[in-house]
Order: sequence, then structure tokens, then C-alpha cells
Amino acid sequence: MTREMMTGNLAAAWGARLAEVDYIPVFPITPQTEIVEALASWCDGGDLAARFVTLDSEHSMMTAAGAAAAAGARVFTATSSQGLLYAFEVLYTIAGWRVPLVLVNVSRALASPITLEPDHNDVLAARDSGFLQIHAETCQEVLDSVLMAYRIAEDQRVCLPVMVNLDGFYLSFTREPVTKPEPDQVRAFLPPYRPAHLGFKASAPQSLGVAVLGGASYTYFRHQMQLASLNALAAHQDAAADFARLFGRRYDLIEGYRLEDAEDVLVMSNAFATKGRAAVDQARTKGRRVGLLRLRVIRPWPADAIAAALRGRRAVAVLDQNLAPGLGGILFQEVAAVLYHEPARPKALCSFIGGLGGKDISEGEFEAIFAQTAAAGDRRRGIGPVLLYTEGEQHTMQELLAIAGNVEQPSAITPQRSGGDPDRPLSSTGS
Amino acid sequence: MFCSMIRIRFQGRGGQGAKTAARILGTAAFLEGFTAQDSPLYGAERRGAPVSAFVRLARGPIFERGLIAHPDLVLVADETLLAHQAARVLEGVKDETPVFINSSRPAQELKAEGACPGRFITLDVTGLALARLGKRGVLSAALGAVAARLVGLKEAGVRSAVEQELREVGLSASTIEQNLTLALECFRLVSAAPLTESVPAEAPPTPLWTPQYEAPGRGSARITAPANAPLHETGDWRTFRPVLDPEKCNGCWLCFAYCPDGAIRMDRQDKPVFDYDHCKGCLLCVEECPTHALIVERETAGPRRKETA
Ligand code: SF4
Ligand code: SF4
Repeated sequence: MTREMMTGNLAAAWGARLAEVDYIPVFPITPQTEIVEALASWCDGGDLAARFVTLDSEHSMMTAAGAAAAAGARVFTATSSQGLLYAFEVLYTIAGWRVPLVLVNVSRALASPITLEPDHNDVLAARDSGFLQIHAETCQEVLDSVLMAYRIAEDQRVCLPVMVNLDGFYLSFTREPVTKPEPDQVRAFLPPYRPAHLGFKASAPQSLGVAVLGGASYTYFRHQMQLASLNALAAHQDAAADFARLFGRRYDLIEGYRLEDAEDVLVMSNAFATKGRAAVDQARTKGRRVGLLRLRVIRPWPADAIAAALRGRRAVAVLDQNLAPGLGGILFQEVAAVLYHEPARPKALCSFIGGLGGKDISEGEFEAIFAQTAAAGDRRRGIGPVLLYTEGEQHTMQELLAIAGNVEQPSAITPQRSGGDPDRPLSSTGS
Repeated sequence: MFCSMIRIRFQGRGGQGAKTAARILGTAAFLEGFTAQDSPLYGAERRGAPVSAFVRLARGPIFERGLIAHPDLVLVADETLLAHQAARVLEGVKDETPVFINSSRPAQELKAEGACPGRFITLDVTGLALARLGKRGVLSAALGAVAARLVGLKEAGVRSAVEQELREVGLSASTIEQNLTLALECFRLVSAAPLTESVPAEAPPTPLWTPQYEAPGRGSARITAPANAPLHETGDWRTFRPVLDPEKCNGCWLCFAYCPDGAIRMDRQDKPVFDYDHCKGCLLCVEECPTHALIVERETAGPRRKETA
């Protein structure tokens, strides 16, 4: 085992290299390109015995990936944002082929307007595609999750493709210490890919992706996908146990931080959860009994684990780094559904939307979240969706709009009401 | 040295090597056994545009990510950035925060000029680079080494880090050796700075604003102001300026054709006239001029004069 400084992108590439993949179809897009650049140089230099192919688009890339996996190859590919959306119809198609490939998505907020920094509208748009989804918080977790993803995907109980998500910039371009597993140990964890039902064999022709007219046969196969996805819960835990035994690092479906005695819990995912931990520590020094629940496996949805972590709390706040316009936060809805039947369900569920397009969430904003959540718990009534935006950001935005020439009637600044007392403004500094 | 965590911010311009400098510092600290985290911040990359890179060094896990608003140490890759409004190089700097500036001028002079917080330290890294390498521009190794010295890291780690990171960027062995010599010279010319670790500030809840519906003219991303590009004075980006030697100019218009920013106008004698408010100092014109009629002059700090030569 060697430990070195590595970006999240390089960690993803190392995951593919250590998994000894056979086929890598690619198309570049910021902030993912570094992954395929690293793989290209390794294939070129003979460090990785894979076929590296550049395609004309993400749509072709995903088609090639699915076809190669169906032919019996272990396949890796990566994309981001608009690229993922461009591949969209193929995601559903190849998930239905039940091909166990791994796709890394480097989250980047979707157009329009165009931007480069992350939020999760890209990866969560694919939540119903049939791909499993693992969302990583650290560069180490990116590498480890790629290895675990192959193990789970190729498990006979599952046989579905897996998407591993990491945040653009906050992980993709950020270096931190990463321990690289030894190839021999990885081979012990991840045996060679020998799918029973896929691949070319002499005198054994098969036809994949066939049409099934009539709802009952279609339903039969869709039900199989649902059951396969749910099987991934157990497959993940088995893989996690083996992984911990071999490499000493343990990953669960969800991860708790200072939850033991927490009254209120903040639910987050991905790299910003690191900031959430610091915010929890900070709030605890001021006497707030708060904790963090990080969602790691998002498909399949680990409903029982989430319910167990959240039952009996005073209040729960879900901080969604995504926005479904006209609804609010995507993960909030899913967390709420899990808690409905809990007899000891939290007294208030709060929904916050933050970090869109990589917008920072400051310590002060976390403090506002904890304050509003605690007050909602006491009031026994949830709030949200609260669209996190600071007065300072609003002032800057007004200036930018003026430069852009869009000067008709700006709205007056109205301070947001605090969750604690609906009649008391959160701050009186609005001007 | 520090006891729990320090936050270091590099301020530079696209192409100067702030990102690699941050990686050198991160690697040097990592090799000495610290937990390190380094990350660059840039938008659509452009040579000359202000960029930042962030490094956190700690003895335990680091529960922070992204930009550093309250740095314990700032390194400024060239003094002209001090006058650059949008670069905000001194944001979050307190009176006791060490601020290293690559400048040929004394620290007190720069400090007096700006009337700003921070304990200024200067060293003419560009001058040393010109003298030792005969090159201007990329300062990553030297800046990384200076940062390592200021936070109290050892020379051996810096040496390995410079070699490792410059190899990573694809430099030749001889270029790496030259950079290493310069880096170690700079390392020895500064001394470890007394660092005051910022204790995480008591954060009161940030005043939040409730988004309000705006008419689509303001609620969708669009630009209606005509021709507002000149408002963006990319002259601020310049570390070096092109200057004409009219005697040598043959009037071929090549500089005009190559300038990516339209910052050159040709006069009636077919000689270039520079718009220094917008010339970003990429020096493509200098490279392309067939008669070497364009000379390079180094910019110094201070409020940039409104001018058109
Ligand atoms: S005038 Fe020369 S240095 Fe200035 S922007 Fe144009 S090409 Fe670059
Ligand atoms: S490229 Fe050189 S010689 Fe040609 S017009 Fe410009 S300054 Fe004169």
C-alpha cells in the first residue's frame, strides 16, 4: 500500500486501473477530462492493458460501453453534467441489458445558465435509470468506491451498471492523501469478470435488448430490475465487509457523524458533507446537540438504514445540493417518504437547498440551518424548501445585473424570517 | 510551525504557476507527515487572469473544502495583483497575517502605498528567475519553496516536492534542476514566519435573503448592455507590457493580427498603438514581431495609469 497526494479525478482513474478494466470508451468534458487523460497515458505506456477508444459523443460512448460489457469485457467510462444528459437514453437502455459496467460522473451543475462548478442535478436526473449510485465524499472514497462498484455490479444477485459520483472542483481537482491498494489485494477482492449470461461463445448465439410487446412481459423484466437493485443493498454490505477486511476501510450505505446523542440531524451527501462535519463540531461547541447523516448509496435507496438513523430525533434537515424547480429538493422527498410510517418520526422535517453551481455554504449559513431546524423541532412543524442565499450574495448579484444592463425595478431586500419566531426577522441588518 | 491547522492562499495569474506552487507546498508537507489538501480555483482558464490556489495543512483530518476566506498566510505571485480590484488578494487578511509578495520593492513601501492589513514580506522572485533562468513567467517552484519555508517545512521535503511536481507537469530533467536551484535559493532567502492560527470564528447565523420573483428580463441570464466589454480592464492582468521601438518596426501589421484581445490599433504610419487599459500582457505580439520591434517591460505595483500610448 502506498499513500500519496491525489486529486479525485486521479483517484477515479486509479480505481479503473486497479480493477484491470478491459475497455474504456471516452469523450472529454470539464471537469472530468483528467480521468480519461490519465487512463489514456497509462494505456499508451503499457501500464494498463485496456482498449482505449475515443468516441464522437457521450451517446456513442455509453452505447459502446454497454455493448462491450455485453460482449463480456470489464468496462469503465466517465462523464459529467451535459455529457451525462446527452447519454441519457442509453443509460436506461443498457441498464435494461443488465450489464455491470462502472460509470464515474463528476458532478457539474446543468445549463442554463452554463457553469462549471458542481451540484447534483446531473447525477440525480439519472436516479430512475436503473444504474446504482454511490456518492463519494473524499478522494479516497472515490478510488475505493470504483472497486466496490465493480464487485457489486458483477454480483450475480445484481448485474446492473453502477454510477460513482464525485463533485467537480471540490473533489475532482482537489488533492488529498489517498492510500492506493496493492494490485494483488485488489485481485483478491475483485475476481476476474466472467459473467455467466454475457459474452460471445462459439455456437451459442444470443440476442440482447429484444423487444417485448405487451405490458406483462415488459413488466416482468422491469420487476427484475427492481429486485436486482434492492439486492444490491445486501451485495453492498458483503462487499463492504470484504473490503474492510482486506483494506481496513469500512463503507456503509449511509454514514453517521456524531449521531449517538443528536437531537437534530442534518442530512447531506458528497463533498460538502465534509463542511457539514465541521459545522456539526462548531455547533456542538455552542451546546447544540446536532449530528450529520451522509447519504452514500442513493440507488438502491437504503430506506431501512435511513429510517433507523433518523427515528426518534427532534428535527431533521435535508440539505439538497440540487433543485427540482416547482418542487424543491429531490432527496428531501425521498427522506420524507421513508419516515412517514415511523411511529417515532421526527417532529419536524426541514428542507434546505444549497450549494447550487458550487455556491459555498458558509459557517454562518450552517448556523442558520441549525437554528431554523431547532426552532422547527420545537414548533413541531417543518419548513422549506428554504433557498439558501445570503444578503451579501444578493447585493453582489444586483451589481452584476446592473453591469449586464438588466436594471428594471430590483426587488427590495426583505430579510428571511427566522424559523424560531415567525414574527421576528432572522437578522435586522437587511438594507 | 503550527499546532492544529493552517490555511494558505496563493494568488497569481493564469500561467504563473500558482496551482503548481500549491501542489509543491502540499506535497512537501505531506512528505513531512502532515495531512495536506490543495486545490486550485479558476474559471474558464485564461493566461493572465487572476487565479487562486488553496492549501490546508493539519496534524489531523481536515474538515474543510474549497476556498479559504480567512487565510493564515497569503502568497502573491506578483505585486501588480495588489492593485487589482477583482482579485481581492488581501480578503480576510488580518493585521498579523503574513503576506508574501513577489516584488523588487521593500515591504514597507508596498504596505504604505496600499494602507492595508497584513505583515508584508517581499522577495524579488521574478528578478531572481530572470537572473538565474533567463526566463520570466513561471514561478511555481520558487513560490512553493517560499511558502514551505514560511510555514517552517524542511528543505529535504521541498527538494523532493519540487522534483516530483515538476516531473508531473512534464518538464525536462535540466529544467527541473534549474528550477530547483532557484527554489532552494528562495527557500534560504526567507525565514519562517510566526503564524497565528485562526481559531474558527464564532459564526453568527448569516443574514439570509428570501429570493423574490423578478420579471424575466432580470430573472434569466442575459446581457442587454451594449458593448460593455471595455468596462472590463484586462490591463490589470499584465505583469509585463509590450513597448514599441518605432525604429525597428516595418509596419507589417502582424502584431495587430495576432493580438487576441484587439488591444492594438494601427496608426497612419502602420505602427501599432497599444491600448494598455485592455492589453492583458500575453506578449503574443512580442513573440510574433518579425523585426523584434517590441520590447518587454516589467510592470510595477501602484494604481495603474489610464493611458493609451
Ligand atoms: S497587445 Fe500584445 S501583449 Fe497585449 S494583449 Fe495584445 S498580443 Fe497580448
Ligand atoms: S509585428 Fe513588429 S514590425 Fe510588424 S507592425 Fe507589429 S511591431 Fe511593427
